[in-house]
Amino acid sequence: MTTTKVAAVIVTYNRADKLGKVIEQVLGQDRPADQVIVVDNASTDSTSAVLDAYQDRETVHIERLTENTGGAGGFAHGMSVAYERGADFVWIMDDDCYADTGALRHLLDGLSAAEKSMGMRLPYACSVVKWTDGDVCEMNNPEPTWDWGKLLARGEQSVLVNSCSFVSVMFPRWALTQFGLPLSEYFIWFDDQEYTRRITAAGPGIQVLTSTVTHDLAVNRGVNFGDVNDSNMWKFEYGVRNEASYRWHHEDPFAALRFAQRLYSGLAGGRVPWRLRRRLAKKFLEGVRFDPKPAFPRTVL
Amino acid sequence: MTDPHDQTGAHRVFEILHEPDWFTGLTVREARLLDGALAFHCLVRPGERIRATVLRTDGPHLPKLTDHATANIEWPDDRAVVGTIEAHATGHPVSTTGVVDVVLDLGGPPQSLMRMEQPPGRLHAARNAARRRSPVAFDVLRQLRTDRLENRRLSRPIPRVGRLHETTFGSSRGSTKAVLFGLHWLELGGAEKWAAATIDMAREAGLLPIVISDRPSGHPDIEHATFDDALVIPLTHPMSGQQESRLLSQLFERFDIRGVHIHHCTWLYQRLPWIRAQYPGTDLIDSLHVLEWRTGGFVDIALRLSNVMDAHHVISPQLRDYLVDRQGLPREKVQLATLAGLTSDRTAADARPAPTRKVGDPLTVAFVGRFTQQKRPYLFLRLAAHLRKTHGDRVRFVMHGDGELASEVRSHRSRLGLDPVVELRGPDQPVPRTLDEADLLVISSDNEGVTLTSFEADAHGTLVLSSDVGSQASVVVPDLLLPRAPLAFLQKGEALVAALLDDPERTAELLDRQHERVSAFAALPDARDWTRALYERWAS
Repeated sequence: MTTTKVAAVIVTYNRADKLGKVIEQVLGQDRPADQVIVVDNASTDSTSAVLDAYQDRETVHIERLTENTGGAGGFAHGMSVAYERGADFVWIMDDDCYADTGALRHLLDGLSAAEKSMGMRLPYACSVVKWTDGDVCEMNNPEPTWDWGKLLARGEQSVLVNSCSFVSVMFPRWALTQFGLPLSEYFIWFDDQEYTRRITAAGPGIQVLTSTVTHDLAVNRGVNFGDVNDSNMWKFEYGVRNEASYRWHHEDPFAALRFAQRLYSGLAGGRVPWRLRRRLAKKFLEGVRFDPKPAFPRTVL
Repeated sequence: MTDPHDQTGAHRVFEILHEPDWFTGLTVREARLLDGALAFHCLVRPGERIRATVLRTDGPHLPKLTDHATANIEWPDDRAVVGTIEAHATGHPVSTTGVVDVVLDLGGPPQSLMRMEQPPGRLHAARNAARRRSPVAFDVLRQLRTDRLENRRLSRPIPRVGRLHETTFGSSRGSTKAVLFGLHWLELGGAEKWAAATIDMAREAGLLPIVISDRPSGHPDIEHATFDDALVIPLTHPMSGQQESRLLSQLFERFDIRGVHIHHCTWLYQRLPWIRAQYPGTDLIDSLHVLEWRTGGFVDIALRLSNVMDAHHVISPQLRDYLVDRQGLPREKVQLATLAGLTSDRTAADARPAPTRKVGDPLTVAFVGRFTQQKRPYLFLRLAAHLRKTHGDRVRFVMHGDGELASEVRSHRSRLGLDPVVELRGPDQPVPRTLDEADLLVISSDNEGVTLTSFEADAHGTLVLSSDVGSQASVVVPDLLLPRAPLAFLQKGEALVAALLDDPERTAELLDRQHERVSAFAALPDARDWTRALYERWAS
């Protein structure tokens, strides 16, 4: 008889105030993860002290990185460690994501039922992400497939999706073997979109409607180019470069142009200063030249 | 001299009508080849008298024992007739009406057979001359081609044979419980070393080993005790379809074959759907060692036949993940069980080795393995030349092995001016002594499963530098993994050795980490335990 081993991966950077609750929610699952891997992306706050409290927990493994590799690098590293340690499934989330008690169980059951129903292996299952007031979190809505309701019609509580965010999504081991890891070169933003779109080459992902988590963001607002300002500009720079790269190299130049048009409209609609628009235009062009290749996890044991 | 015929299991399937005087004059190797050939010809023609003309040669020619040529009563000039012999299959009345003539060529002496197999034609000759002259440059191109083929191979699905619905009734079977083994050839190195261990385990479990080899094999290892009392049939191709089915059906009807265990034997793999159809109660399993990126190798053959097989035994986590995760085989069908303990004592995993080199001593760098294209000994020689140039007498080298590239290794060594620096040791010398002397073992292979020498090296306190191929990452410290591409291999290898030359503390720390890795790997399920349990089930 074989047993399924699940590794939860939490990537954290300077969120000492929320991290403890995130870990406790994972440890408190009614179907616990067999190991919890916390990747500290070289935090400079008191994260280290929070993690010290879990140092001796048998199922918790802490990876302390010497430099901040961004969310993308952190997830790639954590997933690689989970793979090396023999995980059959890797369940990943940010450091401000509180999983409801049955989140993991529902993901496992939902994926198993959907695979049976579809007669094929499916590359991921994600949760419904809520904001702190219980409403849906605008930043973490998966993109449904054209036949998204297929499983609903069959009486299952799941919908088919093309992509999702890295806030509570579970990948089977085979997806990592076949498609590799998220692109750590992306550093932050669009790494989740690129990865989940990449692995849908094997089939659609699912969002399990009974698996729920809360994303503790300061405001409930999705990515909007009209919001660009000096303080958040660094994130948008990564976002524009990464999405341009993805559209150009993994879709086609017309998709990149449609993205350029959407970017232009968004920036114009938000009356973003021209100097910031010019910087983002440069990042768009950088994205056309930027085409990192995925790394693959090592099979060690 | 003992009659070699009495030492094998061949007497179970045929009898010699009149044993000639020359028969006892054969070497054990020749006698066993002849036994195998006679077993084949008697089995495929039960009830008929087989009159064999036995040949040998001094030239570099492989045996021809079961193929179409055996029906031809004309032979090349350089063959000498050893004698003639008559035999017939047991269990059938001897025909009085006539005989069937076969010509069995035992081939040349084993020393003459140790050479590169070279396809004919000027193009291949030119290619080989280029490879001999500039092996590293040639390897650069070869590895680029590997990269390209690897990508292409992985992007294409592997076709699979259809599933067979189990039939409840199979053909009749004999009473002696047996295992049918498929081997590539009868040289007991690499994968065949494990094959030999499983043949011994089958015997211990009370099962008769029946061994079929796929490639023409004049290797002296047929004399090994592993093959005592086994029925060994060294095939040479092509055979007729009728003979193939007759051979297998005779084996199944004479013996109660409980399972088929394939160790790299294409011929037997391809006959598994037929065996499954005719003898449905037989367990069909294989042992897989290495993914060959250029061709897919036996792993892809196994995948193609997987629908008619019961289990795949794999020796590395890389293979398990390839079969289960990449190719979608059910996890319960793939059994990871390692060979970590096959050449070194598993209990030694607890002992923590320590570096023995004293400050000021020269650093001894070793290569241990067959001198074949796969092991890339020329890369080691080039690394030695670079290190010699930079560090002079502070580094010494030992190359321990033999094989088809042996003469090229010698000539490269001379050409690079390394005669006084690189000591060559043959297989007559003990490997443990080399590993005891060595501070570093370099594995330069372009492909591997998991090398057994890595475990042996660790047990002797020797640090392993290896090309990052197969599952070597399971037993080699990440810092000491080198790129497969030759130039990058040499560059990083040279830098690593140079860094370790004056840093005994780092060496000790790396040795500790290596030992942790090897121990963790050794704690995975053991191939011998898994196989023993399987054979005991088959024997019950």
